[in-house]
Amino acid sequence: MSHDGFAVRAWQRWLAVGLGLAILLSLPSVLGALPAADSDVGATELLEQVRDSGEVPFSGYAESVGGLQLPVTRDFTDLVDLFGERSRMRVWWRGSEDWRMDTLSATGETDLFHRAGATLMWDYEDNRATLSSDPDIRLPRTADLLPTELGRRLLSEATAEEVTRIPPIRVAGRDAPGLRLQPADSRTTVDRVDVWVDPQSGLPLRVQVHGVGSDTAALTSTFLELTVAPPSESDTSFITPTGAEFRFEDVIDVAAAADQFAPAVAPDRLAGLDRRTDESTVGALGAYGRGVTLLAAVPIWDEISRPLRDQLEATPGARIDEQGVYVSVGPLGLLLTPGSREQRSWLIAGTVTSQTLADAATDVARIPVADG
Amino acid sequence: MIAVELSKMLRRPRTWVTILLLNALPTLVAVLLAVTDLGPRPGSGPAFLSAVLADGTLFPLAALAIILPLFLPIAVAVFAGDSVAGEAQSGTLRYLLVRPVGRTRLLVAKLVSVIAFVLLAVVIVAATAYVVGSLLLGDQPLAASVSGTTLTPEQVAVRTVLAIGYITLSMLGVASIALLLSTLTDSPLAAALGALAFLIASSLLLTLDAAEVLQPYLPTRYWLSFVDLFRDPIFWRDIVRGIGLQAVYVVVLLGAAWANFTTKDVTS
Amino acid sequence: MIRTRELTKRYGSILAVDGVSLDVRAGDIYGFLGANGSGKTTTVRMILGLVLATSGEVQLLGQPMPRGGRKALPQVGALVEGPAAYAHLSGRANLALLDAMGAGGVRRTRQGRIDAVLEQVGLAEVGRRPVKAYSLGMRQRLGLGAALLRQPRLLVLDEPTNGLDPQGIREIRELLQHLHANGTTVFLSSHLLAEVEQLCTRVGVLDRGRLVLQEDLADLQAPTGRTVVHTPDYDRAHALLDGRIEQRDGDRLVVRGADPAQLNAMLVSDGIRVTELGPERRTLEQVVLAATDTSSHQVGVTR
Repeated sequence: MSHDGFAVRAWQRWLAVGLGLAILLSLPSVLGALPAADSDVGATELLEQVRDSGEVPFSGYAESVGGLQLPVTRDFTDLVDLFGERSRMRVWWRGSEDWRMDTLSATGETDLFHRAGATLMWDYEDNRATLSSDPDIRLPRTADLLPTELGRRLLSEATAEEVTRIPPIRVAGRDAPGLRLQPADSRTTVDRVDVWVDPQSGLPLRVQVHGVGSDTAALTSTFLELTVAPPSESDTSFITPTGAEFRFEDVIDVAAAADQFAPAVAPDRLAGLDRRTDESTVGALGAYGRGVTLLAAVPIWDEISRPLRDQLEATPGARIDEQGVYVSVGPLGLLLTPGSREQRSWLIAGTVTSQTLADAATDVARIPVADG
Repeated sequence: MIAVELSKMLRRPRTWVTILLLNALPTLVAVLLAVTDLGPRPGSGPAFLSAVLADGTLFPLAALAIILPLFLPIAVAVFAGDSVAGEAQSGTLRYLLVRPVGRTRLLVAKLVSVIAFVLLAVVIVAATAYVVGSLLLGDQPLAASVSGTTLTPEQVAVRTVLAIGYITLSMLGVASIALLLSTLTDSPLAAALGALAFLIASSLLLTLDAAEVLQPYLPTRYWLSFVDLFRDPIFWRDIVRGIGLQAVYVVVLLGAAWANFTTKDVTS
Repeated sequence: MIRTRELTKRYGSILAVDGVSLDVRAGDIYGFLGANGSGKTTTVRMILGLVLATSGEVQLLGQPMPRGGRKALPQVGALVEGPAAYAHLSGRANLALLDAMGAGGVRRTRQGRIDAVLEQVGLAEVGRRPVKAYSLGMRQRLGLGAALLRQPRLLVLDEPTNGLDPQGIREIRELLQHLHANGTTVFLSSHLLAEVEQLCTRVGVLDRGRLVLQEDLADLQAPTGRTVVHTPDYDRAHALLDGRIEQRDGDRLVVRGADPAQLNAMLVSDGIRVTELGPERRTLEQVVLAATDTSSHQVGVTR
């Protein structure tokens, strides 16, 4: 008897272990597959909720994943990380003029404290706090990738015809009805933007951007934890610790620098797209288009354009012709026009088709030379 | 019986030699930093190391960060790999079992003794590093959290204790793997090397974007999350996950070790 | 004390132990004989619950093994396939550790028991030295000491005299006889016939995994009904005992008849010189060889 008993017990034990393992492994996906409750809210209603959610206080943790490998030089390294890597963000939001956002890394963090038009950046590893007033134009930063910020920005100019409802999913433990933006403008390379929204607060919880002709998302940003309640004031306050460096900076990145000091003024219209009026219209950097059909053009110095041109030309799939060098990364297109003694190089970038970029290049070529 | 295993562990010369070696690297780093005054470039090197030139009392954390990725898990793999296979190889296993000692209880006692070893090693490394750091390195108190807020010495002490606990728990996964392998083979070396292979594979897969679906399951995934204890407020998410993941490893691997060992012919 | 029924162990296609039914009774000194590789050690391991039988069952002190090990094993002392100890610790420390493991090692009496056991196995002087400084014989004694630590009712010893010098072997033999006299049952596995013959009251013989013989030693060695006579006067003896001589080997005659006294009187009265005379008994070696020959169906091998 004992032998049979033992043989049976041996396989029973392995069976028990195997079952336990299977349950543990499948637990996350089973939980993830639990159906989310839908809400009967309509697309336009949801869109309104999102647009009005800017002052809703909350705190939480979000991750964004970019699938875009930008072929740019070290002047733009933050952009490379932003669109090509996973960013981990903690946020405390008391309102659009009082918030804090930490970008976490394995060995430290970089924190933004924003209050009333000024932003303080704390870099732990450099042991440095940098205060700057917000410029008219700057490069995107991690805070722009928060689902709330990203979702609101992408949906800000959507029309009622462009949005539809999509099935709900569960995000950060909430049932979130979905909203899909399919831009009407044929010049854009953005196929669709999916935003899932907390129906109570209107906060976008998850944002997914798909380029034309791609199944994988070019950019995804999701809350993994979210508390819709006002954070305490101490959470968004910062006192520079003793022993740390403190400095004030006027120009925070190359975009702001170009806008202020570049030797040409961007035109009012480019490739048939109007210059945006929500930002400064006197600087060198011009932003054009509406909704997700966006185009930016900036004249740049040779010191910046030369290495950038080398980098772009070396990128696989780069197209080089008389209008310059063109590279596309997912929905994003980059075009650098040739520079000459008479003509500055222009960097034109946007979520538009290569034809639109080419039209823009033709337009900027006509801009009179202003030798700086 | 757990007490006996602990006393066996404490009486082994190997235990103390290993702890000595674990202390050697951080101490060497401290001496080099003190002599050359060359800190690592911000953002590179182990966590907290760039801060210790200013504040030597942070060196325990830097020392833990130094031994965490490789030294400590190697020691754990060697110890846990030896736990059953070593007894089998020396022949003492059969005498334990006919004492009799329950096989399941023996496994648990072995795991507890491995964890006790890790805790002992980590505490000694931290204590040594505190002494070394205070003597050799900077003395201007930074006492700042990663988020730039000021922490009281009590807060720093509490968080350091939490970090020590977390790092100890983080080794459970490697310990369980080595323990399972240790019941599968009679060679302690094979068990330790097997666990190390797993560890290296895990570290490698963590750096690979294509392995993203696997990453939440990798035992090394949340190791560096002890840094989260020094954010303000403390960021618990990954720490909780890290502990949960290690618990899953313990349950599954100890389960497999149990299923194998309790029905295994002991022929050593 | 030990009872197995049709105990079988198969490793893949190799049948290591094949239908062994042992019966070790209380008060036996049981000699378990077999060549190296005959399956002795595997059988011993199955009895102790270290190896799980493919089929068949084991009762140890009335408990089914391996399930009843918790009840049975504390009353069993064992030495399996050579001693083992933690080399960096002293003999005393090894015994103390082993005693503290598992149930039954009462802490209060531990030191006293260790002292007694070290005295018994002749290690009292070197108990505090680390085991790595021990000779093979000393380690063997330590292993035996560990087996005796809890005053077991049953001792299971696998080759206990390995590595011992003749003096040591005699000491161990005397120790076992002493323990046996005090009521300990001994199960001794060995490949040394002489050892078993000198010590055991009962033997079992294992040949290629099969138990080919299990008998009281006294029965095996009972007189055969013949008498052995050594005489230089073969011709006269042959004339006198005509027909009763079954075998001749030089001076040595094997004569039918179970009464040596009567035969002696008969020879002496006839003036035939007798140098040696006694009842014929089989040696254990003969018994074992006969049994193993039968089991392997070999023909024509005689001695």
